[in-house]
Amino acid sequence: MTVHVTAPLAGRVAPLIAVPDPVFAEQMLGSGLAIEPPGGLVEAVAPISGTLAKLHPHAYVVVGDDGAGVLVHLGIDTVGLGAFVVHAEEGAQVTAGRPVVTMDADEVRARGLSAICPVVLMDSAPGGTHAHATGEVRPGDPLFTWDA
Amino acid sequence: MADDRARAILARLGGAANVVEIEGCITRLRTEVRDPGLVDRAALQKHAHGVVVAGTVVQVVVGPEADMIADDIGDLL
Repeated sequence: MTVHVTAPLAGRVAPLIAVPDPVFAEQMLGSGLAIEPPGGLVEAVAPISGTLAKLHPHAYVVVGDDGAGVLVHLGIDTVGLGAFVVHAEEGAQVTAGRPVVTMDADEVRARGLSAICPVVLMDSAPGGTHAHATGEVRPGDPLFTWDA
Repeated sequence: MADDRARAILARLGGAANVVEIEGCITRLRTEVRDPGLVDRAALQKHAHGVVVAGTVVQVVVGPEADMIADDIGDLL
């Protein structure tokens, strides 16, 4: 089984090691990629189709029908920030590309925080994802794949 | 089962008396402890994907069950 993860938002692709949070940089939750968004309002969508298993304003997890979970974390240390508008409900079925949260990247950065968004295949071995995208991506573009 | 995990994590954090605050955040438990010296980091690691200690703030990376485990630990405090 191969899971194809698409970009949940627009921006420039970066390796997880570039994320200023050891939980992501050291791939404690799994492997994947990060996306540094542009300024302004950034729409974050579902990276795979499945169930919106967890939904917070600053992060969400979509679990596919095959059980693979993808975490999208919007910015670093952004929990509780008023920079997010949620467009979905926890537990909902979503298709890849469906809008989930809008982030105000300017507001995140104005607080001195990083707006980089790790996208992690939960519980995958460090370095376990492949076919990593490079450069700029748009929502829905192939981001990485993972073989169960 | 989840309750056992909550008990085990709480014990490795130095017990209820050492925990000032705990909250779940999608994939991690963020907890503030009174004495970081009472935190058994190596043992904690066995119950988690990772442990990050910065001063009195201990983050235990437990995965998506974080909110549930935080609630269970909250019940034990």
